[in-house]
Amino acid sequence: MLNFDWLKWVPMPAAKAVFLALFAVSGLLVLMIPKASILEGVENPRWWHNLKLWALGVLAVIFTIYSIF
Amino acid sequence: MLHGIDYFVVIAYLVGIMVLGLYFARFVRSADDFFLSGKTLPFWAVGMSIVATDISAMDFVGVSGQSYRFGMAVGNFDWLGSMPAMLLAAFIFIPYFWKAGLYTIPEYLGRRYNDHVRAVASLTWIIFFAVDLGVLFWAAAVMFEPLMGWKPWFSIVVTALVVGLYTFFGGLTAVVMTDVVQMVIMFVGGASVVVVGLYYAGGWSGLMDKIPAMGDAYQNHFKLILPADTQTPFPWTGILFGLTLVMSNAYMIGNQAIVQRCLATKSVWHAKASMLTGAFFKMFIPMLVMFPGLIAIAMYPGLKDGDQAFPKLVKELMPPGLCGLLFAGFLAGLMSTIDSLLNSTATLWTKDIYERFLKKNASSRHYMVVGQLATVVLLILGVATSPLSKRYPGMYVAIQTFLSFFQGPIFSVILLGMFWPRATQWGGLVGLVGGIAVSVLFNVLNLLGASPFTIQDPFLYISWWTFVVGVLLNVAVSLVTRPHPQGRLAGLVFGLPKEPKGSCEAAVC
Repeated sequence: MLNFDWLKWVPMPAAKAVFLALFAVSGLLVLMIPKASILEGVENPRWWHNLKLWALGVLAVIFTIYSIF
Repeated sequence: MLHGIDYFVVIAYLVGIMVLGLYFARFVRSADDFFLSGKTLPFWAVGMSIVATDISAMDFVGVSGQSYRFGMAVGNFDWLGSMPAMLLAAFIFIPYFWKAGLYTIPEYLGRRYNDHVRAVASLTWIIFFAVDLGVLFWAAAVMFEPLMGWKPWFSIVVTALVVGLYTFFGGLTAVVMTDVVQMVIMFVGGASVVVVGLYYAGGWSGLMDKIPAMGDAYQNHFKLILPADTQTPFPWTGILFGLTLVMSNAYMIGNQAIVQRCLATKSVWHAKASMLTGAFFKMFIPMLVMFPGLIAIAMYPGLKDGDQAFPKLVKELMPPGLCGLLFAGFLAGLMSTIDSLLNSTATLWTKDIYERFLKKNASSRHYMVVGQLATVVLLILGVATSPLSKRYPGMYVAIQTFLSFFQGPIFSVILLGMFWPRATQWGGLVGLVGGIAVSVLFNVLNLLGASPFTIQDPFLYISWWTFVVGVLLNVAVSLVTRPHPQGRLAGLVFGLPKEPKGSCEAAVC
């Protein structure tokens, strides 16, 4: 129980898919954040102030790394 | 051993950082300046500082040692162990902390629960940081000895003196601005080892060919996700439950050294952007600290101690000049972490303990001086505790073991405090103290050889289960104790109004 023995049967591709799904879900949640909240504290918003783009860029890179390895 | 040009590079670096750090001393006139830079910092400086703080000498030596033994799986700590947690911190927790005008994370716990929770959390972090300083100083000694031929105690004292000076006078601004320069030097120095090492090892394809061909023990060295029944400290179950769900969130959301600089940014947008900037730079860290271990496997198989992989690589492969640059990068990693721990611990002591329990309503300058004195005491404690690290086989695992004592329980009270209005002050206290007690019990059993866990160094599992214990105890006690009035939770719980409806009964008032 403490050692998660009950998860030993999970095949490695499925375990890897869990982590990839985590990144994908994180990306979806980021997309759902209201734009007003993202731009809070910005006086003259420009496109690069949109922090959703920053977050999605980081997630895309990390998703690719975990897909390969 | 270093050559003449290397000594020049290292001395130029030390003098430059010292001058830069002391330059910012002129802007420090109050506690606000010393602890929060007067809330003037831009996102890019804080983001780079987060990375410089997070990455230390311990990572260059310890992570390369772990990758030498176990392969790429150790990279999970900087990739999987950072990205989701930093997004959560950026979009949910940091804005709340910033708007509440906090100095420390335990301060949030004090407002959300009570002063007992605040004191326990703060003292726990203070003790951890003191021990952490010792581990960092020992990492310096491990690196200095083969390169400079210095005795460990001499390396430790020199490091403490250099970093202590500008942290004492310049406060958080000096810490963050020197961190920016140190991160750049660290990246350039670390990349030089990787580039030179890969050249001698036959490139990436050379590593991919050589390492798996070395036998069965090396078949998983290029896999990030390891089986649940692996005997390494990194089974995928531990990575998912212990690292991703608990330790990384606790680190990025509950670690004073990380969060404090976000609270010092000039606006809430800068606070969020600083965490995302940190996430961007963090993606490159495994390439700097993990690749040297893999290169060392191909170049020098059979080293008895994995922690010698990085020093060996530097000593054997780096040409004059580059060796000095790398050594400066190593010092940068070390100093940027130590200065942050010193300033954050001084903040915890001054705001959570001294101002709250020992001397209220003193002048801002008085608290600044208390913070500076705390910096000196911490330095002495760090130096004194540094030999403890010698008792642990891997330094990186040693620090994770220390962290696992309380990461889970502290994250449990922050999480329930932020998302569950029903969590009460006594639920928080019992959850925190009970979780830490169970963690200590697990670690004692582990040391006595009676561990209920089957893998080596089960800090990931300990983090998860103590988090679960913290949550269960908090929920159980909260359900049988009197809840806080809703107005008191304004601005402290996600989804509740930011301001109290009636008179000012909120904890933030």
